[in-house]
Amino acid sequence: MGKIRVLMAKPGYDSHFRGAVVVATTLRNAGMEVIYLGGQQPSEVANTALQEDVDVIGISTLSSTYMEYLTELTSLLKNKGIAEKLLVVGGVVIPDDVPKLKEMGVDGYFPPGSDLVSIVDYIRNGVK
Amino acid sequence: MEKSNIAKGKERKEVFTTSSGIPIKRIYTPEDVADLDYNRDLGPSGEDPYTRGIYPTMYRGKLWTIRQFGGLNAAEATNDRYKLMYQMGVTGFAIAIDDASLIGFDPDSPEAEGEVGVGGVSVFSLKDMEDMFDGLPIDKISTAVIQAINTTCPHTAMYLALAENRGIDLRDVDGTTEGDPCSFGGCSDLKANPAPVRQLMRLCGDLVEWCAINAPKWHPVSFTSYNYREAGVNAYQEIGGLVASAVDLIEEVLSRDRGLTVDDFVPHYTFHLASHNDFFEEIAKMRAARRMWCKIMTERYDAKDPRTKMLRFHVQTSGSTLTYQQPINNAIRVAYQSLAAALGGVQSLHACSYDEALCIPTEEAVTLSIRTQQILQNESNVTNTIDPLAGSYYVESLTNEVEKRAMDFFHQIEDHGGWTKALELGWLRQQTEKEAIKYEEEIRTGKRRIVGVNCFQMEEDPSKITYFRPDPEIYKKQKARAEKLKEERDNDKVEETLNELRDADDSGENVMPAMMKAVKAYATLEEMTDVTVRRHFASGTKSIFSHLSRMIE
Repeated sequence: MGKIRVLMAKPGYDSHFRGAVVVATTLRNAGMEVIYLGGQQPSEVANTALQEDVDVIGISTLSSTYMEYLTELTSLLKNKGIAEKLLVVGGVVIPDDVPKLKEMGVDGYFPPGSDLVSIVDYIRNGVK
Repeated sequence: MEKSNIAKGKERKEVFTTSSGIPIKRIYTPEDVADLDYNRDLGPSGEDPYTRGIYPTMYRGKLWTIRQFGGLNAAEATNDRYKLMYQMGVTGFAIAIDDASLIGFDPDSPEAEGEVGVGGVSVFSLKDMEDMFDGLPIDKISTAVIQAINTTCPHTAMYLALAENRGIDLRDVDGTTEGDPCSFGGCSDLKANPAPVRQLMRLCGDLVEWCAINAPKWHPVSFTSYNYREAGVNAYQEIGGLVASAVDLIEEVLSRDRGLTVDDFVPHYTFHLASHNDFFEEIAKMRAARRMWCKIMTERYDAKDPRTKMLRFHVQTSGSTLTYQQPINNAIRVAYQSLAAALGGVQSLHACSYDEALCIPTEEAVTLSIRTQQILQNESNVTNTIDPLAGSYYVESLTNEVEKRAMDFFHQIEDHGGWTKALELGWLRQQTEKEAIKYEEEIRTGKRRIVGVNCFQMEEDPSKITYFRPDPEIYKKQKARAEKLKEERDNDKVEETLNELRDADDSGENVMPAMMKAVKAYATLEEMTDVTVRRHFASGTKSIFSHLSRMIE
């Protein structure tokens, strides 16, 4: 099996890139291939995921719109027939909303302060 | 364990360092400050080199301004919040503007979908500014207009037009525009924003030039190292970058050769720093920044006006130090960081709220932030005397070391051709990312301990906090508001003023006179930034998202 391919993006115009870049670099250092998109709308993320045939989509959110954003993204991924890709969310999700992410099709959620190694392990185990 | 350490004279760690990695000795003695010359290196407050503070009386004359950054949903909700804050005793406002407006899009634009009311208040015309400050005495209280690079001129013009329409002389309007193009470029992820940094520098320069003549109490730019500190750089890089960016804008204005000297416009510069976790390093940083600025303004620019040499600054406690876990603990972090700012000689302060790692602050959380500052000002007596840590072997030695390292970083930026060039080259972003990764690695290995995150964790936090939720209808409401505005205003007048703005922008004249007219005609943010920013996009596209993807290397 080749390198695990990861697409990393953040919602829209929000500029808090620190977490996304730190995680992206950690995954690269762990031997994965990472495409960093920066702030993007869901359609761009879904299109790029399809074109680049990535294994994993990582969304780093520090924006209050994560529910709307992820709802749109998961539905686009379903429409494009790529819902099976591992969808991992990191950043700020209000604790009450975390169970809703799973219902919507998010595979893993890592809050701020998560151990970086646990993210790497989760992705390695999740991509079969 | 520790007992036996004491017996053996052993220490808990092999090396002790500051948060930025500066090695710290067990104890500091007169030898560490043997070279310190009181008059040359410190001096009294209010005198060159201003290490001890910029004013002769500091907090004995005037307490620092309690300036809380805030903005939520639309103008009306923010007006309610500001009134509450004013009632509780804030002495300054700072407008947090939503993501759509920061980029320069109106709520009825397709580009604004999902971005209206996100991270702040939607402000796209003078009407919003009027409603936001309805019933608030802007002649008595100063406001910081915290926008981003694309909207520096229009957002400032909206606030100043509001003041003029209320009959306040522009010469008396007190406040600050943050709009530091250097900072935004350094911290934003809109890496491929095709609007050339140079055009943004020009617009910022226009505001500086125009305010120097027309609104002399207004601070047209606040160099904001806070943003790149939060994004990753350490304490000494923060102030090295701060000075480099301010120098770059001096060069921009001087290069126009329109007869202004540094003493005409630099007295209006202001600065915005972070206050992070390392208590003494932060205090040393603020003292070092003042001394460094004074030296550069004196040696390089031969400044004569004392105000040109004074680094006046706002501090925001460091949002990135706040934890998602056990959020109530954040109140304690904020209190220490606020104390550091007070001991560092700050002019205005935003104390973050304990829930900021989770959401826009609730009223309850904001109240505690204001009270944190009031307790500091009214009960702790730290305001009794100026720069109380001066003369401490440790603090003076650390101030020297932070300044030395900051100066090195400043020179590295200069070696890359100055701030704007270093930004265009991607070098600054690289430095920022490198430090952010190092910091995270230190947390992972336990070298850097964060309570509730990598030590003293809890399965379940016993304290429950409430969360702020933005208005889910905000996009629909603001879209309707934008459509209504465009129907009701005099559109011929709007077109006429926008044409005038375009002519000024093309000719290289200062855009502010035309911008003020356009704002007063209720031209919108998007209409104005189409002219001054998006026309300059290399690709001719309206999207800011082109060619953003890159491989992480």
